[in-house]
Amino acid sequence: MSNTEFVRSELRASQARAGYLFIVPAMLLYLTFVLAPVVVTVILSFAFYDPQFGSHWVGLDNYRRFFTDPRSVQIFWNTLRFTAMAVTGNVTVGLLLALALNRVMPAWLLYFFRLAFFLPVIIAAAFVAIVWGYFFQDSGIFNYYLSHLGLPAVHWLTSAQTAMPSIVFMDVWKNTGFFMVIFIAALQGVPKTITEAAIMDGTPSWRRFWRITLPWISPVVFFAIVYASIGALQVYESIWILTKGGPGDATRSMSINIVEEAFGSFQIGYGASVAVVMTVVILFITGVQFIVSRRLVRY
Amino acid sequence: MGITTTQASRWIDRAIISLMAVLGIFMLLPFAWLISMSFRSTVDAYRMPPSFFPTSIEFTNYISVLKASVPFLQIYINSVEIAVIVTVGQLVTCTLAAFAFARLKFRGRDALFFVLLVGLMFPAQVTLLPIFLGFAKVGLINKPLGLALMYLTSSFGVFLMRQFMLSQPKVLEEAALMDGAGYWKIFWRISLPQLRPALSALGIITFTQTWNYYLQAKVLLGQQNAMTLPLAMDILRGYLGSGNLAVVMAAMSMSVLPVIILFLLAQKFVIEGVTMSGIRN
Repeated sequence: MSNTEFVRSELRASQARAGYLFIVPAMLLYLTFVLAPVVVTVILSFAFYDPQFGSHWVGLDNYRRFFTDPRSVQIFWNTLRFTAMAVTGNVTVGLLLALALNRVMPAWLLYFFRLAFFLPVIIAAAFVAIVWGYFFQDSGIFNYYLSHLGLPAVHWLTSAQTAMPSIVFMDVWKNTGFFMVIFIAALQGVPKTITEAAIMDGTPSWRRFWRITLPWISPVVFFAIVYASIGALQVYESIWILTKGGPGDATRSMSINIVEEAFGSFQIGYGASVAVVMTVVILFITGVQFIVSRRLVRY
Repeated sequence: MGITTTQASRWIDRAIISLMAVLGIFMLLPFAWLISMSFRSTVDAYRMPPSFFPTSIEFTNYISVLKASVPFLQIYINSVEIAVIVTVGQLVTCTLAAFAFARLKFRGRDALFFVLLVGLMFPAQVTLLPIFLGFAKVGLINKPLGLALMYLTSSFGVFLMRQFMLSQPKVLEEAALMDGAGYWKIFWRISLPQLRPALSALGIITFTQTWNYYLQAKVLLGQQNAMTLPLAMDILRGYLGSGNLAVVMAAMSMSVLPVIILFLLAQKFVIEGVTMSGIRN
């Protein structure tokens, strides 16, 4: 082995040593608080777990119960319905806001817009939901204004039909600013030469949007849809604080169900199986996005 | 013809921006309402038509919060403690790991990074049950430190810092390596100073996220002395009944203050961090 080769391999080895040392803290913590717990949750989901009076395997019983019990089926559909509505609302409104704000304006105005639309994103739902809960009350602010306009009062949170849309409304107010911000950044990446050429050709603006802008930013739109879905599927405190899952089970989500089953009724195995179902849905959506964005999206 | 179209489009621009300004004010109304409510006397609080601006300035609600049977100060300290530990922890662990993933070559690097990224898809719901059972065994239930431990690192943090590092030129680092500097020295002296904006972004995002955790806190920190602010709001609301919403709003104003101040001061970093993580995905 020549001298330079020796030095080079020595350098490579020391680089590898350093690499492992640098990632050790993050990887150990990740293993302890993410990977291992996920594996244990999957194992628990096949068991009836009771540390005091004895646990036993139940095979697929927890899953069978989840998909056959009419109550948990409703909870599953509630969660998917909330996700569909919240994702559509957040992404559509976020995109419209971004299109409206993607123009030249003074810096202070930009600061104001970012403040106004992004502030709700960073304040906990657990805080603002209490405020919205007051607005939504039967004798609350919204109904006060409705009655002054001569309109009938709406049972925002107390009717099974309107409770879920009301929660979605608050969710869009709270989260759409996030999507606005990433869409603005994406819109700024659309090359000016292409849009200007289209303007010269006299292409109408809605057509420019469908033919040029939207295809160009479609990777970001895909990301936004997946990101919003992952968040919405986990919805917990917005619903818990506004309706406690009611009226009846009308707004009960999978997260609420997990907490109630595992910590309220000590059905830990069953709670674990609901958590696994939720994770599988998330993995499925992410997987679909991965495949679709590879096949369809051209940069 | 050319002049009229540019003039017309300028008017459309102005109209849209004015419309957005009105919408922006509507977005902020719940905050205006909650802050002005917190300064209102109980008698005033429920008067209709509702007012979104202070009708009186009284600090009695704030004093009532501190005197409430819920140990608000202790809860506040818990929230600060958890958020600070988690933020410092993530800045350290995520930056170290990101440096290795972005700059160093070692066997299994890409596979390990992929394994870490998979963590982005696991919700807290699927990790929380075993963590609860484990914490119960080692006595970490109802200990703020327990919740902090859970989040000392994050896949998102490593991902974000790596993105920032990859966008930086590595000429200086290579030059230092040629001069025989060790990797620790290169990380500490050259990479880290370049990462200041990224550290601010990750720090603020992590702090707010931790400040806002609800489900995790509810499961792990049920006792009043151990709980955090988001949980305390619902408890306060329950205790005081709807008759004393003004007091809850005073507690809430104090609770959202650190996050609002952080955002006002460092809006740029937050937006940059969000864009960075969203766009390059």
